[in-house]
Amino acid sequence: MGVTGSAMKELNLAVIVKLEPDFSEGNVSYNADGTLNRAETKSILGPHSAIACSAAFYAKVKYGARISVGTMGPPIADAALAQAQQICDADELHLYSDRLFAGADTWATAETLRAGIAKMQGKMDIVFSGHRASDGETGQTGPQTALKLGYTFLGHVIDYEVDMDRRVVRAKRLITLQGFYDVIEEVEAPLPVFIAIDPSYKPSFNTVSQRLAYEKYQKEAKARVANYKQYLKVFNAQQLEVDPKMVGLPGSPTIVYKVEKIPKAKASRKTEVIDGSNRAELRRVAIKIHEVLGGMVIK
Amino acid sequence: MTEHYDVAIIGGGSAGLAALKQLANLGKQAVLIEAGKQVGSKNVSGGILYSKRPKRGSTHNVEDVYENFLSEAPVERKITKYILHAVSKDKEFAIDLTSAHEYQANFAYSVLLNRLNGWFAKQAGEAAEKQGGGIVSGVHVRSITLNDEKTIIETDEIEPFEVKAVIAADGVNSEIAQLTGARPKFTPAQLYQGVKVVVKLPEEIIEQRFGIGPDEGAAHLFSGDITLNHIGGGFLYTNHDTLSVGAVYHYDSLLGRPAEPYTLIDALLKNPMVSEFIKDEVAVKQEIDKSLPKEEQLRIRFAVSKLVKTWNELRDAHYSPAARRKLVEAGKYKSEDEIKARLDSIRNELQTKYATRFVTDYVELEYSAKLVPDGKRCMMKKPYHKNVLFIGDAAGRGVFIGPRIEGINVGIDDAVRAANSVARAIDRNDFSTLGEHYTQQVEESPFTRDMREIDKDYLKTFLDAAKDVPKDIVGQRYGMIFRLMSSGTFRGLAVGFANILGYDKLLPMVESEETYVQVPIEIAERLGQTVTATYTPTIPGVAERIARLKYDDDRQPHIKVLDPESEFMKKLVMLCPTSCYSLEAGKVMLQHEACIECGTCAKETEWRHPRGEKGVIFQYG
Repeated sequence: MGVTGSAMKELNLAVIVKLEPDFSEGNVSYNADGTLNRAETKSILGPHSAIACSAAFYAKVKYGARISVGTMGPPIADAALAQAQQICDADELHLYSDRLFAGADTWATAETLRAGIAKMQGKMDIVFSGHRASDGETGQTGPQTALKLGYTFLGHVIDYEVDMDRRVVRAKRLITLQGFYDVIEEVEAPLPVFIAIDPSYKPSFNTVSQRLAYEKYQKEAKARVANYKQYLKVFNAQQLEVDPKMVGLPGSPTIVYKVEKIPKAKASRKTEVIDGSNRAELRRVAIKIHEVLGGMVIK
Repeated sequence: MTEHYDVAIIGGGSAGLAALKQLANLGKQAVLIEAGKQVGSKNVSGGILYSKRPKRGSTHNVEDVYENFLSEAPVERKITKYILHAVSKDKEFAIDLTSAHEYQANFAYSVLLNRLNGWFAKQAGEAAEKQGGGIVSGVHVRSITLNDEKTIIETDEIEPFEVKAVIAADGVNSEIAQLTGARPKFTPAQLYQGVKVVVKLPEEIIEQRFGIGPDEGAAHLFSGDITLNHIGGGFLYTNHDTLSVGAVYHYDSLLGRPAEPYTLIDALLKNPMVSEFIKDEVAVKQEIDKSLPKEEQLRIRFAVSKLVKTWNELRDAHYSPAARRKLVEAGKYKSEDEIKARLDSIRNELQTKYATRFVTDYVELEYSAKLVPDGKRCMMKKPYHKNVLFIGDAAGRGVFIGPRIEGINVGIDDAVRAANSVARAIDRNDFSTLGEHYTQQVEESPFTRDMREIDKDYLKTFLDAAKDVPKDIVGQRYGMIFRLMSSGTFRGLAVGFANILGYDKLLPMVESEETYVQVPIEIAERLGQTVTATYTPTIPGVAERIARLKYDDDRQPHIKVLDPESEFMKKLVMLCPTSCYSLEAGKVMLQHEACIECGTCAKETEWRHPRGEKGVIFQYG
């Protein structure tokens, strides 16, 4: 009973996350020119970051682990950390916030994150990141952080197990060979590793003890989030001991020089709004569907 | 490697949760397996929870299991009025049964099980965690293997695990009973079918209308023509800010003359007295002018929806002292008068700007159905199989005698007895006599006695309450018995004689169309007052009721029709509360998506609960 291998050394896990705009209906707001109105749009923990958190939580439930979550962003990014803590019951929250970090590309961001991970408690066995961000194609931040940490990088991971005795990770990677077929590659790597989690990842807890641990940690997470500031540490560039030339705009080998909108092709579909409370209208829709389905019987 | 636990409890209803809490109270490790995504999402009850103190023997009450029940549990209202109405068309005659309701009772609360079982789960789960157990939800038990030394539980979702004993609390349609062969499925003659709607009504309107104080509650029972000549009756219980309105019928009476369950509940809702009880002020939106530009139509739609929503929420707060205070304390309004002023201004804006009408009607929140095992007819004589103990509905236990309706408390009492027996077996490390020991404990339960024989003291209380009813109405057939029972001198003798006959022979005589329908109609016609309804309720159709329910669809049906041409299955076309069955070319077809898992069709189907997390998710219960 209890967590498997509880006698063994607990895992140290880090998750790097990103505060992103909430693109869901009712929350997102756009400017007249069609660009995102950041001031009017609520920010939340990015959906890919949330998946990375659930992957770390999986190891906490299954093997027992200490989880640290870090993000680089403005002071309000602590909201993302609180949301991350709700998912993975994090023991430690890090916010790397300094004007010096502004204008960072993925390489400079990776430098900040590397320094942040070094400040986390314990030596990290696995670092998790999302697959990409929803507000910019910055999926390379993960691999670049791995490179700077000198960790083995495993991308597109859809499932993983840790052999606690041998201190190795066995991971399944979903690889799409475009135009051909998808393959699942199973790889093994000694700890420490960096895992970028695939969007299709879904943790499954398949023993009674895991389900009980899941419930227990979820409850603990809820209690922790109520006082998340107690778990929060905020670092500026100096506290992180990073070279100012390596972070922010000065540390970025790339800059976004121009954003060009790709015009949308005009839709060829015609839209008609139907009043759902009008029976005659609904009947007309049913007949239409019936026609389209080529007279197939609908009951 | 198979995991080991001391005890598995199957099913997270009020009974299963009480077993978990009691085992934790005794320092024993137990895991409770619940198929619903969250505990409480599958539970339905009429809704009164009793705590009893019988003269002979003792019961294990809810407050004994949960020490903080009285101070913290989210119960609805303490039922302080209990009234039986004999009704016929617009005539109504009331018999105050409050004294019978209070008979040997510490208290009784109206409850909504989703909320209450959620609270039970929190208490029981935390206590169980300390003993290395807890609650595992979203997991459906598929099979139990009972070898000589081993009991292995297999599920649809997680790896098999081993236990020393099992408490089966998986309800009236217990799969564990079928898997173990502990008992056959209940027959229609042993069951009631209950259908209920939860109706919205603001807090202080309830108190005013039912003549009760804050936190006090009323229960109203109905018999007579509302049953459409079936054996059964209606009920209406006041909750905190809702009403539970339902109809309960002998299942075999429904089978004899099939009627759609919703027509029975509709008949109840249309009774003038009930209509008046449930009425409320309802906003009716004006049809949007189709000639307006599309954008303007949308703008109006969103604006009206938002205003109506705000009006509803603010109105609920206006009629709730606690909510009013909260709004003022939070600084949202300066005073309670300001809330009223705002409410009036929204109403005015809706009327003048958007031609919204405010009419008298009622608001239905949730439609549900459940089978109830009639303990008198179906309690298990041997409520166990090897080291598997059955409790509550799963064991067919409940006390239903005329207006005495008790189920939840009986399940809790069973749960404590089962938990105590299991704890004893664990301490002795001997499970060979577990079943017999539990059976003996159950035999000692006052509820078991009530399921076997008439309690003459209860009968006296009941008859005293009904003393104004002329004896001759009760009819020639029962005249003698009734007169004997009513007489103080002969009651003991009559009850003694009746108990010698036993419930088996007695029940068909007492529970008949005559007593349930004809007698109340005659009482109402001769003695009743006229009640006039001030409006006609707009009752939603079954499709609309289903559409309001929440489901997590399982593509794989959990029910398999065995013989699509059987007479029983053909009756299901009418008897299924959500019309899941239809007749095509003489064969019964099932569409399981709308199933609310009542088990009405279980007798002749391969009936299982849906897989973990799947199926209906009740919000009130």
